[in-house]
Amino acid sequence: MSDTDSSALRLAGATYRHPAPTSDGGDEGVSRGVEDVSLSVAAGEVLGLLGPNGSGKSTVLSLVAGFLQPQSGVVEVLGAPVSAAASPAVRRRLGVVFQDASIDPMMTVGETLRLHGRLFGLGGARLRGQIDVLLARMGLSDRAGDRVETLSGGLRRRVELARAVLHEPALLLLDEPSLGLDPDSRSALWDLLDGVRAEGAAMLLATNDVGEAERACDRVAFLQAGRVVTTGTPSDLRRALRHDSVRVEWRTAPADVESRLAAMTGVGAVRAARLADGGTTLHVTVDDASAFVPALFALAGSNGSNGPGGIAGIRIRESTLEDAYFQQVGVPLQGEPLLGEPLQGSTEAAAAANGRHS
Amino acid sequence: MTTRTAPAPPAKLVVAAATGRMSSLRGATGACLALLDRDLRAFLRSRSQVYSSVLLPLMLLAILGTGVSDGLEPSSAIIRDGDYVSYLAPGMIAMTALFSSTFSSASFYRDRDNGVLRTLLASPHHARTILLGKSLAAVLIGSVQALAILGIAVLVPGIDFAWQYGWLGGAAIAVAGVLTLNLLLSGFALAVSTRIRSMQGFHLVMNLVLFPLLFLSGAFFPLDTLPDWLRILGWLNPLTYAVDLLQTSAYAASNEGFFGPWIDLAVLSALALLLFGLALGRAPKAT
Repeated sequence: MSDTDSSALRLAGATYRHPAPTSDGGDEGVSRGVEDVSLSVAAGEVLGLLGPNGSGKSTVLSLVAGFLQPQSGVVEVLGAPVSAAASPAVRRRLGVVFQDASIDPMMTVGETLRLHGRLFGLGGARLRGQIDVLLARMGLSDRAGDRVETLSGGLRRRVELARAVLHEPALLLLDEPSLGLDPDSRSALWDLLDGVRAEGAAMLLATNDVGEAERACDRVAFLQAGRVVTTGTPSDLRRALRHDSVRVEWRTAPADVESRLAAMTGVGAVRAARLADGGTTLHVTVDDASAFVPALFALAGSNGSNGPGGIAGIRIRESTLEDAYFQQVGVPLQGEPLLGEPLQGSTEAAAAANGRHS
Repeated sequence: MTTRTAPAPPAKLVVAAATGRMSSLRGATGACLALLDRDLRAFLRSRSQVYSSVLLPLMLLAILGTGVSDGLEPSSAIIRDGDYVSYLAPGMIAMTALFSSTFSSASFYRDRDNGVLRTLLASPHHARTILLGKSLAAVLIGSVQALAILGIAVLVPGIDFAWQYGWLGGAAIAVAGVLTLNLLLSGFALAVSTRIRSMQGFHLVMNLVLFPLLFLSGAFFPLDTLPDWLRILGWLNPLTYAVDLLQTSAYAASNEGFFGPWIDLAVLSALALLLFGLALGRAPKAT
């Protein structure tokens, strides 16, 4: 029991295939469901679900909320299996923030929260007190009597968030909660979520914002085409990638620099290198920039006419969670190229890195 | 010595299940009341809906009622003294219920489109409870509007109701009839709205169904003088029984030429139950 007691959420081999769409709208971004998904979220933990549109993130959330029933496998929330009959009781302890705005523009902020509280069995002075506290935390105290339609998108999102945590859920499901928010609203959102988390609620955060996942999540799971590709802490996933990029600017590059770089071994080993700008700029992909750079200086220093001073500048870009994501899932999230500029031999590097993971 | 074939479920879950059953009815009632409260507020806030729902039947009564009474001098035995305004009044009450409950039910689409339905379905209630709560609001709004027309009709000096069951008895039958009619209409609207995806489609279907039903219900003209095929269609029309009930409880001096309120109530209740069952049998999707 200790296992289920401490776990807020457990999916084991959960499979749900959406019925084929009736209209032929193409495959892009259309979820085909999820296949054999196993995940767990411990109490108080934040698990990020990262994946491109249509990778099944929302399907996972729908399975957890009991909107969909798994065709095979198990979904357990707070130790209780989610079934058609049990899902109402399970939902009592779930809070949900949907991807799209889900709020009645004609109702006031206060009415929105009161309706929700009553649906969750709250009422009276306790509900009023809780609403006051939340409105204050969200900076909405003076807007309680205003209609939602008069609020900006960011403020509406805050109301939705306040609504999701009003009944003090043990597990919060967040489907791209910061989508379309300005930086101010984004930071307000995360301040509130940090507070909720400090109170011990677990969260399942579906997002395709890697920066957000890196900042907010204890662990992330990469989803692709309905399957979990890999799971780990953001730093583990980054470390596992060992994929830093270094740009070196020379006054004059050593003549045989490429062959000398290729001869490097160990953690500083070069996976790909390319000279550009008439030999004055060198792009290198290495496992670990912190080992490569001293080796580079040693190399530059051994060149008589071109001491360390021959290097005009070095720019290091350490691998990010996004790089790890790209490597695993193969689709850039924000449409940006992976490392800023194409790298010669990067395919081989990726293949080599893949070999390490699989 | 006893042997156990299966391990006992953990105590925590058993307790949770028991309290869950005990509180589920109270929880469902609370949820329905909260939804009722919300839809009533929304209705009262929408002034145009409030006023138009009452103005249209009154205008029809004044214009059509006077026009037919004076211009056509109806001679049907059912239209007492050729007074078409009084004859038309019960039909206008039914019409008000008809339009109102379908308008209210369109709020299902509004809720779906602005995402509120999702959040309602994410609450700890069955989808049926949520639909029931929303329907109750539609029933209440439709009934209050229809009864408001009845109240106004009573106050208008030119409208002559016979109240054959007495004032109180007739009013009680009328209230029961209006409630049952609205329940039936909400059930129908709900059944349509859980099956038709777009609001435009919903209104198209409702108009296609409701206008013929209204005209063939005895609301505007008695069915007994119609050709057989049309009269039979009228008898198959659920709205006929609502109009019949309102006519016999308030307008008519006797039940001659009418089904009478008891048959009407029986037909309406049976259909209301059937349609509600159909509608709630198909829960909406949250995603």
